[in-house]
Amino acid sequence: MDITSQTGAESRWNAPEKTAFRILFVYLLLQVLPLDWKFYSYLGKVDWPELAYQDIFNLARYTTRFSAGPAAFTDWGIIFGIAVVAGLIWTYRDAGRTDNYDKLYYWLRVLVRYRLALAILAYGFIKFFPLQAPYPSLSSLNTPYGAFNRWKLFSLSLGIVPSYELFLGLVEIVTGLLLLHRKTASIAAFIFLIFCGNIFMSNLAYEGGDTVYSLYLITLALFIFSFDLLRVVRLLVLQLPTAPNNFRPSFTGGWKVGRVALKSAFVLFFVLIYGVKTGTGARKDPYQYPTAKGLAAAAGLYNVSTYVLNGDTVTYSPSHPKRWQNVVFEEWNTLSIRSNEPVLLDSNNAHLVPKADTGKRYESEGTNGRHYYSYVIDSVHQRLLLSNRNPHYQHDVFVLQYSRPSAGRVVLAGITAAKDSVLAVLDKLPKKYLLEEAAKGEGRLRKLKL
Amino acid sequence: MVTAATVLQEAAPVTKAAPSPVKTAWKGYEKVLFRIAFIFFIAISIPNTPEWYAQLIALDWRHLNYRDLYDIARFGSGINFFGNKIFGTSLLGYANWLTTVLIATGGGLLWTWIVKLRKTERAEYFGLYYWLRVVVRYRAGIGIIGFGFTKLLPVQMPYPSLGILNTNFGDLTAQKIYWLSIGIVPWYQIFAGVVEVAAGTLLFFRRTTTLGAILLAAALGDIVYVNFAYDGGVHVYSSYFVLLAGFLLVNDVPNIYRLLVQEKPVVPVNYYPVFNRAGKALRIGLKSFTIFLFLGVLFYLQLINFLYDPYKQPAVAGVKVLRGNYNVTEFRINDQVIPYNPLDTVRWQEATFENWSTFTFRVNKPHPLDLSNGGGDPQRDVNRTFEITGLAGGQRAFHYYADEVEHTLYLEDKYKAIPDRRNRTAGVGGDGGTDVNLGNDKTPAVTRNDKDERQQEDWIPAAARKNIGDEYGKIASIALSARRKRDYAAAPKNEKRQRFVVQYQTTDGNHVILTGTDENKNRLYVVLDRVDRHYALTPSSLQAGKY
Repeated sequence: MDITSQTGAESRWNAPEKTAFRILFVYLLLQVLPLDWKFYSYLGKVDWPELAYQDIFNLARYTTRFSAGPAAFTDWGIIFGIAVVAGLIWTYRDAGRTDNYDKLYYWLRVLVRYRLALAILAYGFIKFFPLQAPYPSLSSLNTPYGAFNRWKLFSLSLGIVPSYELFLGLVEIVTGLLLLHRKTASIAAFIFLIFCGNIFMSNLAYEGGDTVYSLYLITLALFIFSFDLLRVVRLLVLQLPTAPNNFRPSFTGGWKVGRVALKSAFVLFFVLIYGVKTGTGARKDPYQYPTAKGLAAAAGLYNVSTYVLNGDTVTYSPSHPKRWQNVVFEEWNTLSIRSNEPVLLDSNNAHLVPKADTGKRYESEGTNGRHYYSYVIDSVHQRLLLSNRNPHYQHDVFVLQYSRPSAGRVVLAGITAAKDSVLAVLDKLPKKYLLEEAAKGEGRLRKLKL
Repeated sequence: MVTAATVLQEAAPVTKAAPSPVKTAWKGYEKVLFRIAFIFFIAISIPNTPEWYAQLIALDWRHLNYRDLYDIARFGSGINFFGNKIFGTSLLGYANWLTTVLIATGGGLLWTWIVKLRKTERAEYFGLYYWLRVVVRYRAGIGIIGFGFTKLLPVQMPYPSLGILNTNFGDLTAQKIYWLSIGIVPWYQIFAGVVEVAAGTLLFFRRTTTLGAILLAAALGDIVYVNFAYDGGVHVYSSYFVLLAGFLLVNDVPNIYRLLVQEKPVVPVNYYPVFNRAGKALRIGLKSFTIFLFLGVLFYLQLINFLYDPYKQPAVAGVKVLRGNYNVTEFRINDQVIPYNPLDTVRWQEATFENWSTFTFRVNKPHPLDLSNGGGDPQRDVNRTFEITGLAGGQRAFHYYADEVEHTLYLEDKYKAIPDRRNRTAGVGGDGGTDVNLGNDKTPAVTRNDKDERQQEDWIPAAARKNIGDEYGKIASIALSARRKRDYAAAPKNEKRQRFVVQYQTTDGNHVILTGTDENKNRLYVVLDRVDRHYALTPSSLQAGKY
């Protein structure tokens, strides 16, 4: 089937080039196409009429893998093995019948370009509408710096500057769009190599969960850029007259229409629809924080002015093994407690994009500074039903009676999961954060007392 | 000496259809633009303050400090006869650029007018363009290398001290948070340094200039945005490199566009002068000297700095037995016990002795803050303030001189109402110091009187001074430099700090009793018990300094 003809001179490939290409062709095809059932099982679960940006992201994020776990370099090894075998068989069957693979190379590059564009656009929009690294929660603002792990600090540090995150997202979106055009693809791939090279290094340094995925995208970009690599080196470094690519596909008849239609559909779905859905999601359904509302007008940092444990009042103490030191109510249904009781770290560093509140663990991940509870309000009985957000404490579920004697005061009482009876009087603190105070007016260029 | 002759690459026909794009004469507007650009980029590539020249002349080449070379590579430039404002605004620090553009435009037009008048107009400026690029290449190259080496040997963004690790995330400025986020991963900082030094190195060679410029523009473009987003204060200096890189790219970007986007053949035009023997020797000599100085010597000096004297963190080791985190178990002031209460405004809440000679404690009370980025080139440990800059939460930090014979600590506040001027040669767009520490502060200076100063001078008794020893020499002798000596010798001037003296009793450092008089002349009795904090943050294997 010949769907493209070309203008410009045809090239001749030698035997090793052809063999290498056949292997590469199979390898990249297996890498970029969703060829296993796990992809389709997710696809089957998607609620299409209620399609959410999280679904599009999770599908776009998919890579071929042979185990149930996250993507690993062993998957690459297996794919490469298959590609070598397939490539050699192909070489045997072909036996000099083809002069070149210019056309197939073109189509392979198209596939890889679109696969890479998809990946970048998926990430670009969740940064453009700063979802990926949200502004730190009140609990995080009231946690010591050293109580976060590297990955969490990386994310929090990005989260405090939504404008920078938006900028990074914009770079990704523009790069993605440039990849959709043959003539700008190499430039886009080069920009992406610089950009994603940095992301890959960050993943290594901060122990992020995207090391394999970011390197995967780098290999795709390298493949795309390699098309023009020699030309660019010749022009810029050797400073010699350089001829351009002379393979130009020309589409005719139905293919002309089909090409425009497919391209438009891609842009419509992955740029317009996904963009709009991410934009509305940023306001109504952020994926890092729960969407359920917390206790009305309670958000803030609270001093634990009275703490009664099993009937005995415990005075303030920074070293008591159980006494609550302070408590935070978030805008949403999270209550976090600072105490001396050690916290087992939820060290998940994989980037998950959950839809349901139960899967949203961002606030408690990567920190051992506080105990995080999600709660359900039973306003009839004035009760909070608490359950620990940290998966290490799945049995830490209990009920506390609440009362609010005045605007700034909350009293909690009940029996904890460890069978301790607690009564805590919480008083809201007028806490000012330097992070926010220093950003006002002239920024750092002034005197401040805090 | 140097004969400049036009040697153009021969226009080898690539395809028969392609006309030769090599042009030998420049269009009129190109020449006018070039004249303006010439004046502008020359003005912006050479130092504009007398301090820079003074420091260069005063250099003691036998006892160099890394900062001596850094200060050669980092200077204020552009035309600033009219100050750093234009139309009454500093334009976020860019006013100087605009002034330079206006003057360069005037100069360029005047130049055009004169050559027209005298009928001496040239057909092209290949030769001058080449030399302008040389100036800009080397300016950008040494500048970014000076900058990059403080990352390549990671000292620009230090690993957080215990005092910072114990500070709440919300009690830090955005700027501080960004710098810490690099400081916690020294290997990543090295990577960033390698990129910057590589970009600078590539600019030293004609054939790799474009690659270097692309790398420079990409890396520094991001840093510009980071500085705006995090209020980092180095946006002007980082934009400066983007500007220089942009100029260097003017030559090749159209070619790239033509080759890749338009898919047309390209014949690059690169004019290189032909040198005679002496010219060749001079060129090779100057180039080798630059590379030796800024890649060889600077690397060595920066390595010494990293190993023994990391510039933002104090270099002198603290008392070994005391180091660590402490709970304040008992606190008496004027013999009155104050029980622990997180809201109390007098009582210390927690304390640290750092690996170096800093003692910190936390009091729930507002304190005046130092919001600079803790940069600059302080030599004395008491002026190395990274531990307190951009940080609130009631944290106080004191530098101490330890008399280990008498078990006495002489502490002085690291916070200083009028900090010393930093980055003298850096001019506008220095290390992002605040107005206060750049000396532009309009508020009246705290009045000093002689009595104060005399008290300041003899606050440590002579016997104790003998036990403490001279701080200047307390780092590895290989790291001692003329600059360190000079700064220590000039020390006691304008030192108005809060000070106090305590005696410490301890056997193994787990339980420490401090007795003495605090900075407000109150009697102090404090019991500290060591506490093991379980940080989620794991330190890197790479640590700066020797403690």
